[in-house]
Amino acid sequence: MKTLPIRTSYLRRKKIIDLAARAIFLLAGLIAAAMIVLIFVFVAGRGIQVFLPGYANAQNLGEFLTGMRWRPDLSPPVYSVLFIVINTVITAFGAAVLAFPVSVMTALFIVKVAPKSLRLFFTTVVEILAAIPSVVYGVFAAGSITRLVSGLAAAFGYTTYGGSSMLAVILLLAIMIFPTITSLAIVSIASVDRNLELGSLALGASQMETNFKVVLSAAKSGIFAGLILGLGRAFGEATAVSMVAGNKMFGPTFNLFDTTRTLTTTMLSGLSETAGVDYDIRFSIGVVLMIVILITNLLIRYVKKHIGGVTNE
Amino acid sequence: MQDTTAFLAADPAGNIFEVADLDVYYDKFQALKKVTIDIPANEVTAFIGPSGCGKSTLLRCFNRMNDLIEGCRIDGTIRMEGTDIYDRQTDVVKLRTEVGMVFQAPNPFPMSIFDNVAYGLRCQGIRDMKILRRVVEESLKKAALWEEAKDHLHRNALKLSGGQQQRLCIARAIALEPKVILMDEPTSALDPIATAHIEDLIEDLKKQYTIIIVTHSMSQAARISDKTAFFLLGDLVEVGETSEVFHVPRDTRTEDYISGKFG
Repeated sequence: MKTLPIRTSYLRRKKIIDLAARAIFLLAGLIAAAMIVLIFVFVAGRGIQVFLPGYANAQNLGEFLTGMRWRPDLSPPVYSVLFIVINTVITAFGAAVLAFPVSVMTALFIVKVAPKSLRLFFTTVVEILAAIPSVVYGVFAAGSITRLVSGLAAAFGYTTYGGSSMLAVILLLAIMIFPTITSLAIVSIASVDRNLELGSLALGASQMETNFKVVLSAAKSGIFAGLILGLGRAFGEATAVSMVAGNKMFGPTFNLFDTTRTLTTTMLSGLSETAGVDYDIRFSIGVVLMIVILITNLLIRYVKKHIGGVTNE
Repeated sequence: MQDTTAFLAADPAGNIFEVADLDVYYDKFQALKKVTIDIPANEVTAFIGPSGCGKSTLLRCFNRMNDLIEGCRIDGTIRMEGTDIYDRQTDVVKLRTEVGMVFQAPNPFPMSIFDNVAYGLRCQGIRDMKILRRVVEESLKKAALWEEAKDHLHRNALKLSGGQQQRLCIARAIALEPKVILMDEPTSALDPIATAHIEDLIEDLKKQYTIIIVTHSMSQAARISDKTAFFLLGDLVEVGETSEVFHVPRDTRTEDYISGKFG
């Protein structure tokens, strides 16, 4: 028999608190999941109806998915998104291709190369960059990146519409996703086990060999999580992109100096001053955008799994 | 201190390391005080002593891993086969290929078993797959991991058990054909069976390599080492044949530690 004065009332209360806490967590999880489902159901429901018979000015789904023109000004209007999807993928991946290596190198520099006293300063700068609202990036791009682009275009013998172009969109998005990828890469590089580095150095590797071969591969998961978030931002950014895209009405755009149109800019432009099919079709684009992002995430997961020659089975 | 010089005089030729008057400081803290010790080649030397006695510090001097610790300062000399390894001319990378190290907790890289073992060679610019394959196989055999690993060479090393990971780390060090293998409490994170595997392996390896092992387990030191050095608060208290240190210690402090009066 225990001689300790254990209080059974306290034990009972502990059990109840445990159950209550479990219920609260379950509820929180359910709410989050329900929100995602609700958003998807609402957007998809509204997006699908324009293709159903009985809808005024009903659209053809096949044409919507495969066409290369967006002409709400014609009568009857033409809405098709394939070229917009292509434009979106090109600009988002173009931005990622520019930003990803720079971000990873910057993170590596901040964590492993820069003197300790500067580390906090650089990290803070990156965090501030990540927190700047997108509309600020937008005016910056409209005011300066477009000038740079039109100057560059002139040098190559092209003309632009005041600098609004695919190149401007890519540069803008690259700048915008740079802090996202960098700050996640900083966290994951900084959390790499010091013993892995020491193990590498003890095998006669140089500090740089260690950084590139061991530290980066150990930080791979976090770095790719940053890439996914960055690409998500690139796909989803509407406000800033609208300010420099030029919203071309056909495509796809392959010329860097030509104007472009992305899924988000199409959803955003004129949203508050339209009705009927022209309004509802934006929900259809929303569904397309969600699917594009989903496919991209799956693709990156696949790449991550197969990089570095390690099979995980 | 007289004991160590007597030991030096007894066998001057077969020493791979000769440490003389070594002081090591971490900022203002002195971790080792005027340590003089010889490490005989092709034997197992065990460093024992309570935590903070400086035994791991001395171990890390032999492959200059202390260079990586900020505020670490070293006075005195360590000669490896007659050459001062703290000389300005010393190539640290080359030194570390001669003096391998196995850490307290297994630290395989997050890559395949093959790439782990080939890592050191690739860092030396060896790319020829024929050579890499041969060395990986030989090293894994020497580390008694080949039978378990040969069918999964391209599997992630992190999938191995703790004991297998530690043998992989030994294989990784052996691949560079070092003269010395430093082991810093290599079994402290392992279960008794995995520990027994590693101890058997050390018994095998000493035929080809000089092994210096830091251990908290006195029974381990007694089982596997030829020479034992006892450290206390930065002093080398006693060094000699393991059987002598354990059965007829010359210093009362050694006797107290070994008999479990403090630890």
